[in-house]
Amino acid sequence: MSVALDFYVPRDTWLHRLDPRVKLWEMLLGFVTAFLLPYWWAQGAFLLGLHLLLLYSHIPWSALRRLWRQMAWLVGLILVLQPFFAPAGAVLVALGPLRLTVGGLIEAVLLAARALVIAFIIGVLLFTTDQRALVQAFVRLGMPYSWGLTFSLTLRFLPAIQQLFVTVREAQAARGWVVEGNLFRRLRDYLPVLVAVIIGTLRMSDRLTLALAARGLASTAPRTVWRDLRMRPPDWITFIVSALAFGLLLWVRWR
Amino acid sequence: MLAVEHLDFAYPPPGAGLPATAALRDVSFHLEHGETLAVMGASGSGKSTLCHVLAGLAPRYTGGHVAGVVRVAGHDVLATMPPTGAVGLLFQDAATQLFNPTVEDEVAWGLEALGTPPQHIGAQVEEALARFGLLPVRAGSPWTLSGGQQKRLALAAVWAMHPHVLLLDEPLGGLDPQGCDEVLAALATLHHSGTTLLLTTARAPAVALAPLTLLLTDGMATSPASTAEVLQDEARLVKAGVLYPSALWPTFEAPPGPSSESAVAVQDLHFAYTDGHAALHGVNLDIPQGQFVAVIGPNGAGKSTLLRHFNGLLRPTRGAVYIQGQDAAGRPTGDLAREVGFLFQRPEQQLFAATVREEVAFGVRRLHLADVEGRVERALARFELTAHAEMPPSILSYGAQRAVTLAALAALDTPILALDEPTVGLDGCDWARLLAWLAERRAAGTTLIIVTHEMELAARADRVVALAEGRVVADGAPDEVLSGPAEATL
Repeated sequence: MSVALDFYVPRDTWLHRLDPRVKLWEMLLGFVTAFLLPYWWAQGAFLLGLHLLLLYSHIPWSALRRLWRQMAWLVGLILVLQPFFAPAGAVLVALGPLRLTVGGLIEAVLLAARALVIAFIIGVLLFTTDQRALVQAFVRLGMPYSWGLTFSLTLRFLPAIQQLFVTVREAQAARGWVVEGNLFRRLRDYLPVLVAVIIGTLRMSDRLTLALAARGLASTAPRTVWRDLRMRPPDWITFIVSALAFGLLLWVRWR
Repeated sequence: MLAVEHLDFAYPPPGAGLPATAALRDVSFHLEHGETLAVMGASGSGKSTLCHVLAGLAPRYTGGHVAGVVRVAGHDVLATMPPTGAVGLLFQDAATQLFNPTVEDEVAWGLEALGTPPQHIGAQVEEALARFGLLPVRAGSPWTLSGGQQKRLALAAVWAMHPHVLLLDEPLGGLDPQGCDEVLAALATLHHSGTTLLLTTARAPAVALAPLTLLLTDGMATSPASTAEVLQDEARLVKAGVLYPSALWPTFEAPPGPSSESAVAVQDLHFAYTDGHAALHGVNLDIPQGQFVAVIGPNGAGKSTLLRHFNGLLRPTRGAVYIQGQDAAGRPTGDLAREVGFLFQRPEQQLFAATVREEVAFGVRRLHLADVEGRVERALARFELTAHAEMPPSILSYGAQRAVTLAALAALDTPILALDEPTVGLDGCDWARLLAWLAERRAAGTTLIIVTHEMELAARADRVVALAEGRVVADGAPDEVLSGPAEATL
């Protein structure tokens, strides 16, 4: 079964071992930095740095390529549309009211680079943090356990629902279901499949409710946590160094 | 340890105007510490319901009416939910009870719920994984495991909580022979370790490891008796719907005047999945109309992959498939459905309509076949589903759901039937019904292609095709193939 939502690449590196709460903190700083840097070349350097960090953490090229592919449509859209929304400076081409300008192009490249930087910052977190640690980090930061569990279950069951969709569609095709005709007819033909998937999902959630109850979800004993998160000296050092670096950046930018 | 006295249970009505369903009637038995009891009953006899009531889940989470007494280690289960971990339950469908990202997290989850001190959890997880042979896959995802491994993991997860009583609902249900062997070995170690076990089963052969057996028929239970004694009374087991000895099977008489025309022909069929896994390597087959072919082989041999080419669910990477002499390429599955009736594994995942009647009528309407009403009524009657016609298929027992999928096929009356493991998880009655229908279709000249692990069924075919690692390794009459060297690897 394809688990399309699971980006995690299991490796034993410094970044993988870093406490996920620190990674979340780094992510926050990264987002703010990406928004503060107004130069496309600075965003480009940031993006290069993120790539080097991921490769240094033994994340394979194939994973990075996958993220690039997923971002391609957004980046393409920005590069095509943005120049016309923010015209500035010398006009390169004019098509009626639409003007392609040097300033507009630079702005588009900046925005596209910023979108990629943000995607790769999230990538750093998801490629190097397993789901359990991520949920634990959120719970330790104050999220109720039931929310954390719901989040894990959603991640766990989305592929199952996707599989259910394929199964039902195959079962119906094997009994003469053919999708044809215009878009409206096609959508209408998909209705029975969707209804079946919804019913199937409800049944799955019923069974899951029983399974969780049987394993003690409603237990009154306080839950313990196996392999709980613990801040080690490298985590603290990373946390402090990144805070100082961020402060330095702010100072350089607005002194 | 476990005391059940005069237990009655009825589910709430499944819909407006429908009656409540009595599932258990006056069930009484006792189970002492360290004993193992098998509850044997046909599909729909109340086995899962009994497990759910004993675990405190029904009627608490399902609704319904309960009366009688259930005590586990002195705890009144009907009054209050048993303490966490006191009763372990292995569900029939193990996959749905696995919800953690890794195998070891799955086992740890229940221990965390129990409030086990974190420093002890690691050792207990390790012990459970070692006991059920799961250490090599400890860091993997429960999703990627085989059926047998998933059952063992679900078992490890409940066993790790050290329950007073372990309830196993159809521990062998839906498993192929290899998965059955794996789970039986795990159960044997549990039995010998002094765990109090109650296991349910729809087939007589699975009770061998329990010294005591109780027969459940339509929610009514016999007193537990020695398993050897229960198994001796064959006539009673047949009547209870848990046994269908091959001596009672119908004869699969060949249709008059065998045809030389081709029903399914496969030429140099190669197939690789999108992840690169090559499942078939140059398969050649020609199946004449009216032939009964059994396709056998170990797990992963490519049997289901081959069958899925016959109605276009999969398309050859190289080579060609011809259905009744016509190239199947370019014909959608929905069109090939006129000629090839396809039965999938796992019937519970194939049912999508609001009622059994709608489910059976779906294909007939889609293919615009004549006499919708008549076809549907006959198919419902053929599989004894007329009484369930207005019920949602999703609430039926496994055997009844299988019957619905068979009725949906029967209503189409296709010249070719391709059935993928039709006997998995069936009780004696379901077997009898399935074989009677197959014998009838065979006599009518329908081409039967059946993927199966049941060698006795394969022995009744005209021809057995053995696959291994995506290739045909033997193809011939059953007595040649089933006694040949290839059989050793199946």
